[in-house]
Amino acid sequence: MAYRPVIGARTFRRVRAGSGRTSSTWRAKQILATLIVVGSLSSLTVGGTFALLNSQESNALSFVSSGTLTFGNVVNAGTSCFSYGAGSTANVNSACDALFTSATQNYPGVPVTAKVTITNNGSLDASDLSVYMPSCTNTVTPGAPAPGGGDPCAAGGAELYIQETNSSGSPQTCWFLGSSPCPFATSSLNLFSANASTPATALDLGAGPAAGKSRYFIIGMELPSNASNTLQGQAAQFGLTWHITS
Amino acid sequence: MTELKKLLLGLMLFGAVTYFGGGGAFASFSAETSNNGSSVASGTLTMSDSVNGGSGCLTVTTSNNVNPACAAALSLTNVAPGAFGGVGTVAIQNTGSLDASKLSFWASSVNATLNGPLTAGVAVGALTVSGLEGTVASGDTITVTYGTNSDTFVANGAGASASNGDTSIPVVSHAPVSPYAIGATVTDTSSNAGASNTDCYDVKTTVGVGSSTKGTDLSFNPIAGNPLCAKMLIYVQEITGGKNYCWLGNGVGTAMCTAPISVNLSAPLSTGSPITSLPVTSLNGNVKSGDSIVVSSGSNTQTFTVAPSSNAYYNATSITVNSQTPNFAYPTTSTVTDFSTLGTLNSDASDTLTNFDTVHGAGGLIFTAPLLGNGSIDTNAPVQLGHSGSGSDTRTFVVGLYMPAPTGQNQNPLQGLKSTFGITWHIDQ
Repeated sequence: MAYRPVIGARTFRRVRAGSGRTSSTWRAKQILATLIVVGSLSSLTVGGTFALLNSQESNALSFVSSGTLTFGNVVNAGTSCFSYGAGSTANVNSACDALFTSATQNYPGVPVTAKVTITNNGSLDASDLSVYMPSCTNTVTPGAPAPGGGDPCAAGGAELYIQETNSSGSPQTCWFLGSSPCPFATSSLNLFSANASTPATALDLGAGPAAGKSRYFIIGMELPSNASNTLQGQAAQFGLTWHITS
Repeated sequence: MTELKKLLLGLMLFGAVTYFGGGGAFASFSAETSNNGSSVASGTLTMSDSVNGGSGCLTVTTSNNVNPACAAALSLTNVAPGAFGGVGTVAIQNTGSLDASKLSFWASSVNATLNGPLTAGVAVGALTVSGLEGTVASGDTITVTYGTNSDTFVANGAGASASNGDTSIPVVSHAPVSPYAIGATVTDTSSNAGASNTDCYDVKTTVGVGSSTKGTDLSFNPIAGNPLCAKMLIYVQEITGGKNYCWLGNGVGTAMCTAPISVNLSAPLSTGSPITSLPVTSLNGNVKSGDSIVVSSGSNTQTFTVAPSSNAYYNATSITVNSQTPNFAYPTTSTVTDFSTLGTLNSDASDTLTNFDTVHGAGGLIFTAPLLGNGSIDTNAPVQLGHSGSGSDTRTFVVGLYMPAPTGQNQNPLQGLKSTFGITWHIDQ
């Protein structure tokens, strides 16, 4: 029995001699080295699979919707012409009914009127309503036998007013030209076409209509009672453009 | 016999002797203690999401601690350009027992809910979904998740669009490994890469206000390209504990987002003497020193200037202004508007919902370090949302939207549109 440890010791000594390690620390180092390797592998390769706790929520389906700003334009008892309707482009409709036609002959001192109802059928209030006259063109009345050659669009020509009323037609505000109820003023058509011919120079009619509400206007036209014969057989061709903004 | 075998044999003999014969060798006196019943319990990390003080939307009610269906942060209708849009307040609470080292938010990915079950091993060429939010582009990676199960599909064909009302996402034929029930979460993990596949999407409104016109009545408001998403401005302002910080939007990184207000006077103004403070109803935005504040009542208006070093934040009830005598006895119905803020936002084309999606999607998280004060954050704080009951378990954010009115630009193409989007909040241990 005493011999065996000597053999074993030799064996261990051989190993020791080859490695230069003592038997008591060699195993410990082997174990530690193994642990280091395992630890390193865990750290380097398994780290990503550790499930750190987390929690998550989503506020889904939040939404924002824009309103609409559209309106209808009715001349007298006609049908509504909508800004977005037939004949329109990008919420601009240039094909609404005319206020007056050449079928109605005008005589000096005899007024003609047209009622215009502006109804906001959008969902947003209009912060402003304005109106302008892009052009006023002098033409010959169709079929006139002896046009006088004068210009109703020029100074001394036709007269215009824009009167706001309530829904019953009672005058409320004279927007152009003078105090309510609007009078006919000399050269007023010329004044309006010259000074309110673009969106930038449009006549400001104040706020509104609010969503779902209407505003009512009467457009008056007249040849001056002292009109000369030069205005016979002549026609003023113009349009009024109504504009609302949110 | 090898040395090892000898060693093992020796050990066996020693063990046997010890077991069978050694027992009697113990002294007749003995003592022993046991610490039985020791246990280890894991903590919890769960959260609640409450909008405008409503009941909390919990993650603990879900199968995987992820709740994709909390209340909408905002539901705004009939918005006009250049006018106050609206805000929603989102309170994020840690309802768990563990601190969260991180609290982040980002633009939700395109998502939906599975509306037709999937069977394990059975290939499908389309996913039937409901509540699709956003646009799925062909080639996108679609992940279906339920509990701990997850499978990945690849969108095919023309993809799918919530704008078109799609309820099916065509995919390259694939057999899922796991079964998925109706209600499983469907996520497009490739989304928000560009304007063509954002979570935010537009449709035309189908209902007006009363009998007013609606989006579907109009022909000049196309939805291609999600134009309202591309214009609407978003901001996220934290207001936790009265401290303020702008995490997203115009003013990001400062104490206050450029956030419009829409309030009234809380007390009338009198014309007798100068005033240095405007009493207002609780602010729903921010007011910066030097801003022009317009008080209006009918045709009466007056502009006040916010005094130096007198920022007024969300929830403030007064605005300190340079001394000025009111030009009218403004009643409490008078409106108070910050025109400086509107001017700034009207020229902002960057802080849009579309950019929120593409810049701050799942790859662009916004981590929210705790606030130290107005405009000051603690980037080194180890905890961003304390455990339940810690006193720091809740943080409150205001999410706002504004529809700008750029000078000289007609906004008619944006009439009658509806943008839908999502925000995701996340905490980590």
